[in-house]
This record gives sequence, structure tokens and C-alpha cells, in this order.
Amino acid sequence: MRLPRLLRTTPFRLTLLFLALFAAAAAAFLGYIYIATAGEVNRRADKEISREMESLQAAYRLGGADALNQTLVERSLGERPFLYLLMTPDGKRLSGSIEESPVADFGDAREKWTTFTLTETDLDGAEVKRPARGYQVRLEKGEILFVGADVGESESYVMKIVRALWGAGALVIVLGLAGGVLISRNVSRSMAGLAEVVNAVRGGDLKARAPVRGARDEYDELAEGLNDMLDRIERLMGGLRHAGDAIAHDLRSPLTRLRARVEVALIEAESGKGDPMKALEQALEDTDGVLKTFNAVLAIARLQAAGSAPDPQTFDAAELASDMAELYEVMCEEKEQTFEAEITPGLAIKANREFMAQALANILDNAIKYTPEGGAIMLRLRRRSSGDVEFSVTDNGPGVPEADRPRVVERFVRLERSRSQPGAGLGLSLVSAVAAAHGGRIELSEGAGEYDGRGPGLRVAFIIPPLG
Amino acid sequence: MRILIIEDDLEAADAMQRGLADAGYECQHAPDGEEGVKAARDGEFDVLIVDRMMPKMNGVEVVETLRREGDGTPVLFLSALGEIDDRVVGLKAGADDYLVKPYAFAELIARVEALSRRRETGAVATTLKVGELEMNLIARTVHRAGTEIDLQPREFQLLEFMMRHAGQSVTRTMLLEKVWEYHFDPQTNVIDVHISRLRSKIDKGFDRPMLQTVRGAGYRLDA
Repeated sequence: MRLPRLLRTTPFRLTLLFLALFAAAAAAFLGYIYIATAGEVNRRADKEISREMESLQAAYRLGGADALNQTLVERSLGERPFLYLLMTPDGKRLSGSIEESPVADFGDAREKWTTFTLTETDLDGAEVKRPARGYQVRLEKGEILFVGADVGESESYVMKIVRALWGAGALVIVLGLAGGVLISRNVSRSMAGLAEVVNAVRGGDLKARAPVRGARDEYDELAEGLNDMLDRIERLMGGLRHAGDAIAHDLRSPLTRLRARVEVALIEAESGKGDPMKALEQALEDTDGVLKTFNAVLAIARLQAAGSAPDPQTFDAAELASDMAELYEVMCEEKEQTFEAEITPGLAIKANREFMAQALANILDNAIKYTPEGGAIMLRLRRRSSGDVEFSVTDNGPGVPEADRPRVVERFVRLERSRSQPGAGLGLSLVSAVAAAHGGRIELSEGAGEYDGRGPGLRVAFIIPPLG
Repeated sequence: MRILIIEDDLEAADAMQRGLADAGYECQHAPDGEEGVKAARDGEFDVLIVDRMMPKMNGVEVVETLRREGDGTPVLFLSALGEIDDRVVGLKAGADDYLVKPYAFAELIARVEALSRRRETGAVATTLKVGELEMNLIARTVHRAGTEIDLQPREFQLLEFMMRHAGQSVTRTMLLEKVWEYHFDPQTNVIDVHISRLRSKIDKGFDRPMLQTVRGAGYRLDA
């Protein structure tokens, strides 16, 4: 027979294990208490019996058997808790409060201790058996004296304690089992929730999420961790699928164009018309374009998959910003745009220098590309009040409507009016991937606003955590 | 000049060999890493072109082996692994330059030329002279036919690199790498703008332009 599921859970097994340990400990404890208390009761009774025996023997030494007999009769009538029996050397009863000695097989022994059961009739006429101790001694002239004591009273206290302890032990075991079952059920319910999600995901349902009960315990933590992981996996999978579609879509047209161009060039070359050199050059250019797109997609995919930038180094962000400013300032001058740089010196960051340069270059490229001639572009590096390091590029070009801002960061998303410009719509996605790989983010906001027929412009901020 | 191509893709090696032969280089081909190391030990080569992923012995092992044996021949890595970390591994192994597949042939030629040239000029020069263009590296001045030309620091570096590689094609990527010391893929013609500014300074007012545009490759400074 298989155990019910609940009983096979780890918490239940642990409960059983602890209960077993507890039961063993309780048994040992009970045994010790019993031996200690019951032994004590007997020892005390023995001491009292010995004392009584001594005083009787003293009476015997003074007045012989008659005096002892007299004493016994007196004492039997008194309130003393002892049982007496005086016998002739051959064991015949002379006097005392009991009829016969409970000491079996006395023979020629000088003295003997015994434990026996005293049977009495109580007030209701019922027979009551009580434990008792007794001491039998052969006197100097051969008479046998027995003194006993009822230890039932004391022993029954001990037994009461022992019984209470047994009861408590049993109660603990029952409660423990019940608690174990409850805890196990609770735990296995939580675990079952997680297991269900894992199975669902294994079955291909990436949308499954573990229930978070709001108890803020370790199961909730685990569930939240699992959900975060699933979110990330789903995002990555979605990204991959999207990238696949987008690559197929975006590379198909240039590849088709390339193929057509080569084919036409071949036909023309065969018939002696056209300029095959020119066609080849064009084909080479198309190929480079495709490769560029492909490389950018690959870089984004790898960054996103790795989750962190490779080969990070510590360097001065200001140096990077100045380099980029110097590199791109001439571009602005060509387009008669004003270029300004405001760079806070001495901001150390740990990052991949090449990816950072690529990201800044992409942002600057975009700004210069989309800002019309005569516009203004500003590169700024500063430390935010949060401590983060922020590179920002602000232009006064046409800007990006607020609703479109989250979208332009996505791969291959190009706004309608930028279709005429060269590019594959990968620039900001790469920037965003670089920022994320460094534990940062990008923020798009309005530039300086409308002014003098320009603007509102766009401000792209690249924010990464500082060193340390 | 002799070049050893260590590459397991025979078609790619054949294309490379033809292209390099066409450019006037003498080429030898080894089809895998072990053969490559053997050939490099036996022959005197000016440049090694090494593929990174090969059977028997990969490119990194080939370069490490040769460097351990004291062979200092300039090595150009060719690889489909183009990410920055791969580049770092390649350069740390002892390669001198790194080119990602698929590459433009002009880029390959330019880099091979740059590598072979670097070997020839061992002495530390204080002045560079290309035709009527003279550069004083200590005073940081440039004269063309006796007329002083005022250059910005970066323009000076750009011209210095062009002069050190006078007569050779130099690509935009190489300029970004060697002059700016960045290795990324500029989406726009940012290098062209810098070159055109340099050109306007050194060629303006002279009847013969020295800074040439090489179609499909980059630029060349001619005496």
C-alpha cells in the first residue's frame, strides 16, 4: 500500500522523525523520574521501618519477648502507620496487627527486606490492594519480628505523576502528528502551486505564474523568484521570436534587392550592355548594409542573453564623453548644428568601454541625423542625485511623441517620418541593451521644448549605476 | 612579401590567396593548425593570417605555440567570433590584429599592409617625411612644402598614422581603432568627416592632393 501523498511529504517525514526522537526522550525521562521517585519512596519507607524496628528491638532487649509483645499491642492500637507481627522461632503468630508474615521462605536468615501487596477492605467493602514494604528480623532468642509499612500513599503520588507524564507524552504525540499533517498540507499546497507552474512551463506554457499568497514567507519569495525568472525567459523568448521575425523581414528586402541586382547585372553582362563593375560595387554596398544590420542584431541578442556586458573595466566616464564629443562635434559642424558638451569630470564607471562608446555614438548619431540643419545638440555627463551616472544627449529636432517613446527603443521600430533616413531601427535598441547589460536604463523625454519654430526636441538619457 | 594563411575553409583560403597574390603578395596555405605551426617554423613569413576555429589545433593555440617558441611574426586573426570578449582573447594570445568574418577584402589588405610595415620600422623616428609633407613629432609641427599647417591634436594623430602608413590603404575602422582607440561600428560617416577636415588643411591651396580616397576601402596618403 502506498502512503497517501501527504504522508510522503518532507515536512511530514520530518515531523515523524522529530516525534520519534521526542517519544524516545520522553520515555527515557519517564523512566528516570519513575526510578528516582519510586526508589525515594521505598528508601524513605525503609528508613522509617528500620527506625521502628530499632525501637522495638530496644524494648525487647530491656524487657524480653513479653515487653515487646506489650509494646506491639500498644503500638498496633495507636495511630502508627506500621504493621507488626511477632512470631515464635518456628513462625507461629504471637501477636501483631497482621495475621501472617508476607516474608516467604525466611528459613535461618537473620533479616530480610521484602516488598509485598497489602490487601485491605475499604469503607465500601471493596478490596483495595496497596504496595507495602516490610522488614523481618530474627531476635536474639529466636523470635521473629516483622515490621511493615504501607507505601501505597506515596507510591500513588508517584504513579499519578507518571500517569500524567504519560498522558502529556501521548497528547504531545497526537498534537505533533496533527500539527505535522497541518504543516505538511500547508507546505505541500504551496509546493504543489510551484510544481504546477513548473509543469505548465515544461509543457510549453510560458504564461504560467506561481501564486503569491502575500504571506511574505520563503514560499512567496520562491514564487516571486520563479515568476521573475519566467518573466525574463518569456521576455527573452519573445525578443528572440521578434528578432527572428524582424531579421527575416528587414533582411529580406535588401537581400532581395541584392539578388535582383546581381541577376540583372549577369543578364546585362551576357548581352554586353550595362556596367558590371557598377553593379558589383552596388552589390558590395548592399552586402555591407546587410552585414551591419546583422551585426547589430547579433550584438543586441548576445547582450540581452548574457545579461551583463563582457570585459568590464573601470574608467573615467568624462574621458569617454569627451572622446565622443570630439568625434561627433565635427559632424554637427558639417550640418551647421551647434554642439555643446557639459561634462562633469572624475566620474568613474565600470563598464565595457567599447559598448559604452557604441551606445553614445548611436545616441549622438540619432540626434545629428534627425535634427535639421541649424539645430542644436548638447551632450551632458553628470551625476544624478541618486548617485547614478547619466549621459544625456538633448537636441531641438522634431522630437518623438510621448506615446511613441517606449516603442522606439524596440528592435527595428522606426517611426514613419524616419523611413527616408538610412538605418535599420536598431540604434536605440542597442543603446537600451547596453544600458541594461550594465544594470542601467535609458530614458526618453522631451528636449528643450518648442522655441523659435523648433523643437520640442528629444532628450535621451543613458543612466548607469556608479562604481562600487 | 610572404604571407602564410592558416585556414581550414579551403574555398575561403583560395579566395584569400588569389586576392593577396593579385595585390602582389606571395602566399602559402596550411589547412589546419598543426600544419600551420609546421609551415610557420619552416618558412620565413612576414605576416601570418590565422583562422580562429580550426580542426586539430585552434588559432589561439597556434599563436600561443609560436609565441612560446619565440616567433614574433605579426599575426592577424580571422574569426567568425567577432564579439569584444573574443577579440580580447585573441589579442591576449599574442595576435597583433583581429578581423571579423565576413570581412571586406580591402580591410584585410589594409591590415596586412599595416602589420608588415610595422615590422620594418623598428627605429624610433622624431620626424616623419612623406613627399613634401614633414612632421616633427617632438615639436608637434607639420609643414607642407615649407608652409606650416596648424592641426588640432586629434588631426595631428590622424595625420601621423596616415604618414606612418603612407602609400597604404587605411580603412575607417582602422583609423577609429588606432587613432581614437575605440572599436565600435559608427553608423554614420564620422571618420570621413574628420578625414575631410584634415584633407582641407593639408591639401587646400596645393595643386596636388596627397590624401586620396580609396573606393571601397578607405584612404591613402601618397607622396
